[in-house]
Amino acid sequence: MSSLIWYIYEFARKTWIDGFFDAKSKEDIAHKPDRFRDFPNVIKENCIGCGSCTASCPSPNAIKLIRDSDSEESVGLTYPIINKSSCIRCGFCAEVCPSTPKTLECGENHFIREEFNIIPSKRKYTVDDYLCIRCKKCMDACEVGAIEEIDDRLLVNQSKCISCGKCLETCPVKGAMKGVFVNNLEEQKKIINLAVNTLEEYIESKQDALIQLGTDKLFLDELKFKPIFDKSLSILNDGEVVHEVLEDAINRLKIRIITWDGDDCKKCQMCIPDCPTGAISFASDNDTIVRDKEKCLRCSICYQTCPFGVIKYFLAKFNLDTNDNDEEVIHISVKASQLAERRA
Amino acid sequence: MLKKLKDIVRKSSIHVCIVNCGGCNGCDVELVALLSPRYDLEQYGIYVHNNPREADVLLVTGAVTEQWRDNLRRIYAKTPEPKIVVAVGNCPQSGDVFAQEGGRVLAPVSDFIPVDAAIPGCPPRPSEILEAVLTVAPGALAAKGRAQDARKD
Repeated sequence: MSSLIWYIYEFARKTWIDGFFDAKSKEDIAHKPDRFRDFPNVIKENCIGCGSCTASCPSPNAIKLIRDSDSEESVGLTYPIINKSSCIRCGFCAEVCPSTPKTLECGENHFIREEFNIIPSKRKYTVDDYLCIRCKKCMDACEVGAIEEIDDRLLVNQSKCISCGKCLETCPVKGAMKGVFVNNLEEQKKIINLAVNTLEEYIESKQDALIQLGTDKLFLDELKFKPIFDKSLSILNDGEVVHEVLEDAINRLKIRIITWDGDDCKKCQMCIPDCPTGAISFASDNDTIVRDKEKCLRCSICYQTCPFGVIKYFLAKFNLDTNDNDEEVIHISVKASQLAERRA
Repeated sequence: MLKKLKDIVRKSSIHVCIVNCGGCNGCDVELVALLSPRYDLEQYGIYVHNNPREADVLLVTGAVTEQWRDNLRRIYAKTPEPKIVVAVGNCPQSGDVFAQEGGRVLAPVSDFIPVDAAIPGCPPRPSEILEAVLTVAPGALAAKGRAQDARKD
């Protein structure tokens, strides 16, 4: 009953009666919103007749270049015409149109111009946000104002950067400002692998000296840099890039070395089940414990397991420097591990 | 007197059938949007039946595919006189992006059935479809109906 009264009340309202007898859509349904991308608009006079609009069009019959017939005073204009019954209003033609101002206008996207940097450079300059101390010395040093502070972070605007390298020189924190070589990354990987493998082989060959080393002594050695450098040059023929990649890799490199004296080994085989990769095995024919270098992770678990302290564990560090004869050499320092050693 | 009454009836009640003869469904979505309260198709006396035997207007979408070669003519034959055909979107007019080199579309639709009106766009806006149907359909239906009556007499 109450709902019936509600209906009578509702239907008796003037707005409802007006709406019922004079129903029509609001006018705004026919309005196209501003963002709507309509059929392209052609401005004949700007056309240079390059044909990139026809090449970019996904619809086969939508756009054609036509040419007006020549008159006595001037040659006919060349310009594109749009066939509306084929055009899909994608706006590609307007985006590729190279003339300034545009011959074709469609939507708004083609007005956005991507900034690009024409200065050729091997390096890309970036700020390492983790290391940066925000001293802003690089901002002062930059001649073109390419370093910007956004949200308390320093960023290099690549479209302004002229790759002068002054920011790299002024930066007081090593590694906070980076000039990364962005090309030939694969070759850089190969060079780093070469350096690491060469150094590791060299230290492995010095095992006899290492085993004699006491816990609080350092083993110092030198290796000529030239051979590694020359080999790397055959991978990538660019001295500047090779030298910097090698220097960075060598100065940062830490190699862990595991070794043991076969004569002292008691063949208890306790290290074999503890090895996480199964790199240690017992060769029963000549009664020795063998370590597979390829499988070994240098994790030091066998060193901590060995109850007789036979297994030795060393840390090697490297530094590239010049010696007295102005030759570049790699200083190698090896020290015994500080990890607690279990002694018999 | 009777003729005028017939004209009024034909103009004020338009029954529509959507025929998708192999398109991407973009235009069909725009047609369905016409049923929504924003556009409210039925306030103009247009009813979507999707049954060609009841329809006055065939809204054809899609570039005609191989399977539609005969069916399009059959549907047209089943529609009672007076009838008009509106090609919605670019596909029934030119094949649009499907009319590629080596493509297998048989557009335009006018090769198979007579088309009275065409709406460009890929897809056209719902308001454009509504506008086209409202401007073409009542007049064309009334005129065709009168011509049909004259033939009978």
